[in-house]
Amino acid sequence: MSIQFKTIKELSSMLRSKEVSNYELLQETYQLVKKYKNLNAFITLNEENALKKARDLDNNPSDLTLSGIPIAQKDLFVTKDLRTTCGSNMLSNFIPPYSATVIENLENAGCISIGKTNMDEFAMGSSNETSFYGNVNNPWGEKLVPGGSSGGSAAVVAAGIVPAATGTDTGGSIRQPASLCGITGIKPTYGRISRWGMIAFASSLDQAGPMARTAEDCAILMNVMCSHDIKDTTSLDENIPDFTKGLDAPIKGLKIGIVKEFDLSKLDSNVVKVFEDSKKHYESLGVEFVEVSLPNINLSVPTYYVVAPAECSSNLSRFDGVKFGKRCNDPADLEDLYIRSRSEGFGDEVKRRILIGSYVLSAGFYDAYYKKAQQVRRLIKNDFDNAFKYVDLIMSPTTRGTAFEAGSMSDPIQMYLEDLFTVPANLAGLPGISIPSGSLDSKPLGIQLIGNSLQESQLLNVAHNFQMTSDWHLRTPPLRSK
Amino acid sequence: MDKETVATISYLSRLSFDKENEEKITKDLENIIKFVDQLDSVDTSDIEPLKSPLEKTAKTRNDQISAQNRKEQFLKNAPDANEDYFLVPRVVE
Repeated sequence: MSIQFKTIKELSSMLRSKEVSNYELLQETYQLVKKYKNLNAFITLNEENALKKARDLDNNPSDLTLSGIPIAQKDLFVTKDLRTTCGSNMLSNFIPPYSATVIENLENAGCISIGKTNMDEFAMGSSNETSFYGNVNNPWGEKLVPGGSSGGSAAVVAAGIVPAATGTDTGGSIRQPASLCGITGIKPTYGRISRWGMIAFASSLDQAGPMARTAEDCAILMNVMCSHDIKDTTSLDENIPDFTKGLDAPIKGLKIGIVKEFDLSKLDSNVVKVFEDSKKHYESLGVEFVEVSLPNINLSVPTYYVVAPAECSSNLSRFDGVKFGKRCNDPADLEDLYIRSRSEGFGDEVKRRILIGSYVLSAGFYDAYYKKAQQVRRLIKNDFDNAFKYVDLIMSPTTRGTAFEAGSMSDPIQMYLEDLFTVPANLAGLPGISIPSGSLDSKPLGIQLIGNSLQESQLLNVAHNFQMTSDWHLRTPPLRSK
Repeated sequence: MDKETVATISYLSRLSFDKENEEKITKDLENIIKFVDQLDSVDTSDIEPLKSPLEKTAKTRNDQISAQNRKEQFLKNAPDANEDYFLVPRVVE
């Protein structure tokens, strides 16, 4: 029996009933990896170790939550003794001496990391076209981008190779590729999941999260991925609920806000129709939609493109060709070593963002740009605080449209606007989820739900209700193998 | 945004560009800065900057030694090292 497109819940049950052995499951997983090599979704595989782990599990079965479940890890999480590149030439030879807390949490729960997924370089991109290791292809169509930056993770889940993958989301990097690939992805509240061992892009925005076929699987993964971590000073020390509890509680009477300032008339009318259909679907489940005003929300993208590059230029100063990572050949002196190692190691988008960061942080411009952006960030957060006095959740499309063709978006600003609907949640630190909600020209589209701080359970409950009564999340792409 | 500014911030960032790319980078940066300039339209007087969504002070903990000396492991990832140190080109003549 094929394991392709199975959920965590289904695979766990197949393993428990011995319908498939741990070794067979992993073997078939790697057969799928090879069959769909043309997706270019992996940078590094962990085949030998993974098969050994599976064999060990067959000999010594465990009853851990994720026992034997194959999971693909975004190549942004450091993994002990397994190459971690972050999609960059800079780290093409980096073998981390430790694993990220998220990876430890997942592996301690029994999951098997099958490999590291392709991604935009240092998570800077919305189409996976900035990876040093080549574009990832969207399983839904030749030449289509999978979104980014967690594009490899989204593609392997959409292709049914693994039931789940890890992602990270700084401005939409879980939710946008989830939408373009027709899967489910949640970015938790800032601080819910430890950032220790995540290669930093923008530290006040970065947050890890699960990507899977269903909200239910995301809940299972959230239970394992969330923890309070003393190694991350921004890790939340809050009660972590059982996210799988109450998933199917009815949502009748729930109030969902529609943001007045998001001008949907600028979108393709078919995209709007899919969104309106999703609203009707929720209305049939007893949800009431209310218009809410967030006056500053349309300043989110410009705010983000000051804050994120500023933090990125500081974070990426660590890549200097001295302690780890790439070093240029025959440096003339130390300065030459820094400049050439960085210029050869980083790609264009990363350089662009470092330069913007250096600019907005430089003397004379700091107040006008960086401080100003942080002030507007406060106004955006205040807008959300105010909106949540009237509604339980906020809903919008996840993206402006379906997956676009690789190479079709050459203007950086147009690419930045790809994250129009997702960036606000990062600025305010709020949880957001994207679920498949429709299709246009045989390409998936998603809706995004944003919750108040720490309200992931509610998001998962509302998403699960949609999935119990629709089948968009069950659709599979017309895959070509190679 | 002119070439001189780009040269200054490139140096601050320890990045270099060939002539061919310089023009494109200057143009891109100019457009991006123009794009973020729309933040000027908002009155932010008396608004406290939001540095992080977590407005809590980091928790303190007891300073217990947990790290082991893993010098060899760390030096293994260095582009150039001897037994004890990261090696770089000579700095002092």
